Amino acid sequence: MEVPLLWLCEGVPSTRIWPTGAGQDVGRSCILVSIAGKNVMLDCGMHMGFNDDRRFPDFSYITQNGRLTDFLDCVIISHFHLDHCGALPYFSEMVGYDGPIYMTHPTQAICPILLEDYRKIAVDKKGEANFFTSQMIKDCMKKVVAVHLHQTVQVDDELEIKAYYAGHVLGAAMFQIKVGSESVVYTGDYNMTPDRHLGAAWIDKCRPNLLITESTYATTIRDSKRCRERDFLKKVHETVERGGKVLIPVFALGRAQELCILLETFWERMNLKVPIYFSTGLTEKANHYYKLFITWTNQKIRKTFVQRNMFEFKHIKAFDRAFADNPGPMVVFATPGMLHAGQSLQIFRKWAGNEKNMVIMPGYCVQGTVGHKILSGQRKLEMEGRQVLEVKMQVEYMSFSAHADAKGIMQLVGQAEPESVLLVHGEAKKMEFLRQKIEQEFRVSCYMPANGETVTLPTSPSIPVGISLGLLKQEMAQGLLPEAKKPRLLHGTLIMKDSSFRLVSSEQALKELGLAEHQLRFTCRVHLQDTRKEQEMALRVYSHLKSTLKDHCVQHLPDGSVTVESILIQAAAHSEDPGIKVLLVSWTYQDEELGSFLTTLLKKGLPQTPS
Amino acid sequence: MDPECSRLLPALCAVLADPSQAVADDTCLEKLLDWFKTVTEAGSSLLLLQENPCLVDLLSHVLDLKPQDVSPRVLSFSLCLAGTFAAQEDCFEYLQQGQLLLGLFGEAGPLSWAAWSVPTVRSGWIRGLRSLAQHPSGLHFLGNSGAVDALFSLQGDSSLFVASAASQLLVHVLALSMQAAPQVTQALNVLTTTFGRCHSPWTEVLWGQLSPLVAHLLESDPIPAAHSLVDLLLSVARSPVFASADCGLWETMARMLSCLSPTQAGSLALGILKLQHCPQALRSQAFRVLLQPLVCILRATTQAPGPPGLLDETSAGSSMMVDTLLSSKSACVGLLCQTLAHLEELQPLPQRPSPWPQTLLVEAAVIILQLCDGSAVPSSSEGGRLCGALAGCSRVQRAALDFLGTLSQGISSRELMPQVFAVLLETLESPASSPMVLKKAFQATLRWLLDLPSPSSCLDLGPHAPLFLRELFPVLQKRLCSPCWEVRDSALEFLTHLTACWGGEADFREALLASEVPKLTWQLLRDPESYVRASAVTAMGQLSSQGLEAVSESPGHPEVQQGLIGELLHILSMDSEGFPRRAVVRVFTEWLRDSHADVARDTEWFVATVLQMVSQDLDWEVRAQGLELVRVFLVQTLGQPNPHCPYAVTLPKVTPPGPLPEVLRTLCQLQIIDFAFRALFDCDRPVAQKACDLLLFLREKTAPCSGLQEPGNSSDVTSVEATLHRWQAGEQSQPLGNLEPEELLAALRSLDLEGFQGRLAESSDHVEKSPQSLLQDMLATVAVLEENVADCY
Repeated sequence: MEVPLLWLCEGVPSTRIWPTGAGQDVGRSCILVSIAGKNVMLDCGMHMGFNDDRRFPDFSYITQNGRLTDFLDCVIISHFHLDHCGALPYFSEMVGYDGPIYMTHPTQAICPILLEDYRKIAVDKKGEANFFTSQMIKDCMKKVVAVHLHQTVQVDDELEIKAYYAGHVLGAAMFQIKVGSESVVYTGDYNMTPDRHLGAAWIDKCRPNLLITESTYATTIRDSKRCRERDFLKKVHETVERGGKVLIPVFALGRAQELCILLETFWERMNLKVPIYFSTGLTEKANHYYKLFITWTNQKIRKTFVQRNMFEFKHIKAFDRAFADNPGPMVVFATPGMLHAGQSLQIFRKWAGNEKNMVIMPGYCVQGTVGHKILSGQRKLEMEGRQVLEVKMQVEYMSFSAHADAKGIMQLVGQAEPESVLLVHGEAKKMEFLRQKIEQEFRVSCYMPANGETVTLPTSPSIPVGISLGLLKQEMAQGLLPEAKKPRLLHGTLIMKDSSFRLVSSEQALKELGLAEHQLRFTCRVHLQDTRKEQEMALRVYSHLKSTLKDHCVQHLPDGSVTVESILIQAAAHSEDPGIKVLLVSWTYQDEELGSFLTTLLKKGLPQTPS
Repeated sequence: MDPECSRLLPALCAVLADPSQAVADDTCLEKLLDWFKTVTEAGSSLLLLQENPCLVDLLSHVLDLKPQDVSPRVLSFSLCLAGTFAAQEDCFEYLQQGQLLLGLFGEAGPLSWAAWSVPTVRSGWIRGLRSLAQHPSGLHFLGNSGAVDALFSLQGDSSLFVASAASQLLVHVLALSMQAAPQVTQALNVLTTTFGRCHSPWTEVLWGQLSPLVAHLLESDPIPAAHSLVDLLLSVARSPVFASADCGLWETMARMLSCLSPTQAGSLALGILKLQHCPQALRSQAFRVLLQPLVCILRATTQAPGPPGLLDETSAGSSMMVDTLLSSKSACVGLLCQTLAHLEELQPLPQRPSPWPQTLLVEAAVIILQLCDGSAVPSSSEGGRLCGALAGCSRVQRAALDFLGTLSQGISSRELMPQVFAVLLETLESPASSPMVLKKAFQATLRWLLDLPSPSSCLDLGPHAPLFLRELFPVLQKRLCSPCWEVRDSALEFLTHLTACWGGEADFREALLASEVPKLTWQLLRDPESYVRASAVTAMGQLSSQGLEAVSESPGHPEVQQGLIGELLHILSMDSEGFPRRAVVRVFTEWLRDSHADVARDTEWFVATVLQMVSQDLDWEVRAQGLELVRVFLVQTLGQPNPHCPYAVTLPKVTPPGPLPEVLRTLCQLQIIDFAFRALFDCDRPVAQKACDLLLFLREKTAPCSGLQEPGNSSDVTSVEATLHRWQAGEQSQPLGNLEPEELLAALRSLDLEGFQGRLAESSDHVEKSPQSLLQDMLATVAVLEENVADCY
């Protein structure tokens, strides 16, 4: 049995961040945050590039016995993309996390569709048996608590979270996590410029201790999306004009809707008659959700919604498998998005041989998929049964992914005004550049841990302490009124009881706790070379102190001892050496400062008396 | 190695060695390592290196680069790769000759380069060493190269992955000592793993050395790294050496139990109770520790808790426990949840303490639930404060319900049942219960109902059940109308399970039919949430199988008039989502199997109607389920598949309802054959696989068919074959037409079904997953625009 070290351990609560995914990569996001004793998991993503256990985060580093519910206070999902939520059913139903999972309402609605879609592909294509089931997805979704934007949600008495608009996809949110006076903001993926169907990310000046931000385009200033959209429409239009067919492989939700709106408006404007199809029954449901969550889309869509619902498409029709063989031009949206199985791959195989046709890949494809192969320029593909498929159709790549670019990230940091920043979801080299820029411009520390590395933030926890009125009055009576912003020393007794802290006068503390007072005195012996008698010695000490400490009350008592406030000084002869006199100095804790000052002074010796 | 791969490899190595070329993402390098691992495991690494000199070139080239030019990814990959090769001793010697290994793993290598600050590089370095430390030369190398020292310091690495891997490797070489380890926690972790692996004599020696150090740690307050110390002690105790020997281990554990904080003591106590051999006194102490929080709860809320004996002599511990429970809400919640989970884990184990205080545990679970829902009456000020801390706490509720559910097993007395059922009803009724709490309450209720002891006969539900059921159905009714889909769904799942087990019992039927539950379930077939619709379909299917759909004759329900079968067919043809449609076909399959009355009325019409809808469905799981329905139908008409095992008991043959040609003609007319052939060429593999099995079954059943002549070279057969070929090529628009039985048989024989079966058994991405595909992709990616690489979703 291999026993890895565990991330969660006992000790002083501090703010610690541990990316197990998204640390210097864009694979799968899963970040653990420990803040003031509370442990939160930010996203629970899956790596699409692996087909084995490596696709899920290794949760054994968190705890061995599988009872994650005891360790984690909650899981927060930023948005519905699988690299942010794909491991959720595995985590909750197979590893056994039983606590709450927070996400926004649209994410809650859409997440199970994508998980189900992915499960079906995995089981269909690879025949994977050890994969989560539909029932598990459902049971996992039952653990979800949906939140509204800007609604403060109490996870428990101490931990609260709040969602902000992120504009990356429908329902994407940034989350503020707060325990007492400490807070962390996690951006998830976000976009600072509004696009055709979503608005821009926004957060208030919440001044968190730490901002954990994505950094996909850390060094890029992206051209306007308008250009890419124009380009896309031009390509589609040209292809259908010359009688070709256009295949657009998409995942059921997200990019698909954006492109549908784009084509629908273009077809309307140009009065085109070429059919556009969407290949699965999912459109209906997807569009239903876009309608349902209209408040999450951008202003333009919301405004026009009154006149015409943007998601009720006139030109886009449901696809039937037989249509693929129809002659003449058409545009088809088909799932899945990486051309790795199912409908999209089947249509691709039919159309690939004709150079008039075109396939447009609107998103990222992982290695091994047909999508990845054709994007990297491969034109002869080996298919099952030793068949070779020659790709003559045109292959186009268009990135429509909605992430903040370098400017946008800086803008968000400026908006939130964090005490420190931590970069995730990006490449190491680009992160390094951005890190320096952030540190220079905002004068805050910026971290970029790799996967597995823990960042511990110095925290100064503030603990509220109640002060009794009696003590305050007593202090006021002693001196001037307190000045604002100027610290003043106050003596009292701190009582910790029922997990609250109170500062009271020592008298009151004694009374409350039923204790008797003990007097504690500090004593010190100062040895001085002096042959004179003790009484004479004491007198000399008296006059020396009288002249040095003009502001204090110095007294020479009848028994020969000298006092300065509560400090008592007595002179005595040395038991063995008559040439040495011993000064016994004693004081109470209230006069500690003065006491040590006096001993230091006396140790220097007494001034020579003028003979 | 495949010749195609050998051909591609030099180009790839050249790309990897060239710092100016962007390399594909980490996953590709990982997969490449996977492949090399398979290759070296299957054959000689030395031969591999000799046949592909580019590999050694790559390793030496990486060392020759200026340290600042090295890509951390490629460096890490090279380190792992070198280790993989050096795992075989002859290959190790070969690489050593060129000083390659020393260059890569020695002090002058990457250890001293700037790239060392990248965790991936450190991790690759450890992985490489871990692979090569397989043989004496490898271990020797580890000692001489100074690697062990570096490993010791890597145990405290900032990356948990690196630190963990370093510890694992240290454990592997067993060259460690307590003093050398940089931190107590890490040292303890290493030791824990070591004890888990080493042989008995070693364990004794190690423990002898270690016990004074552990004793020393136990003197500190608070105990440092308590969590790791618990793991260590348990790991030592698991060794069979200590089963009889007395070497202070048990005393140490007893001492530790008494001085750890309640939360930490819980996991130690659980560990002790799970041990195979352990002194009885320690077990009792551990069990007391584990029970203490519950005892405190019972003391604070009732007068006389549980049996005496268990709860005496707990005064010292219990005051600490009370302090913890009352110190803060989160401490109280944390400790209770942990205790409940520990006891839940212990409950089903054979080595759980005996006697097992079932009654006390049930009482405690009930009280905790009452504290949570506010119905408990505290008998002391502590009780009052517990009420405050636990009121409305769904986390504790969830844990307590899980625990209460497991306690249903082995319950011997019925004494507590009224209390249990009462608290479950309270929870199910309470408007404050969250959806998750309700789900767990339903599950616990189900367990208690199903585990009811029935002494006289299995038909007797016991005296409590009828009473309880009468109160349960109104609650279930209310929950079926909940605004949360989660709650409606959990209620339907509960109903389905309960009906499946109890559908035949008179008391249950009476209570169910007296309620609105069947009507509401019917209404939920039109729920806006697809999950709920699917669960409603399953529930209605179950109710109907037991003759409990009830409301059939009531006027004013037009949907009822057309019958449930009509409603389900409507869902199958119209529902926009897969779950309800899948559920319908599953219910239909069950009905067909059990000869449900509605189906038996006209089975052929039923099968034909269902198939017509299923064949059009876009969801492959619906189509696959449709094939299952066909299989059941075929078994009913043609008999069970022939046993392939010569020793199998031969079942009595089902006689087909008529002569075989007639049966086959019916199958063709019902479009079953058309459906199965189409499914064989389905683009979704599981559908094709199922269809293939089905056709094989059909071929087998018709093989010795006597009454049929195969047509010779009739043109009809040729056209059938031509159609099938077109279907295979993906053009499925043309129908098969009405087949004659003879044509069907000919078509069945002409297809290479075994070949299909073999191909379909392979996962459909085996081509993409092949090493050639990986190498091609990596080479092709080099030339592509950077934007593609950087992009993501």
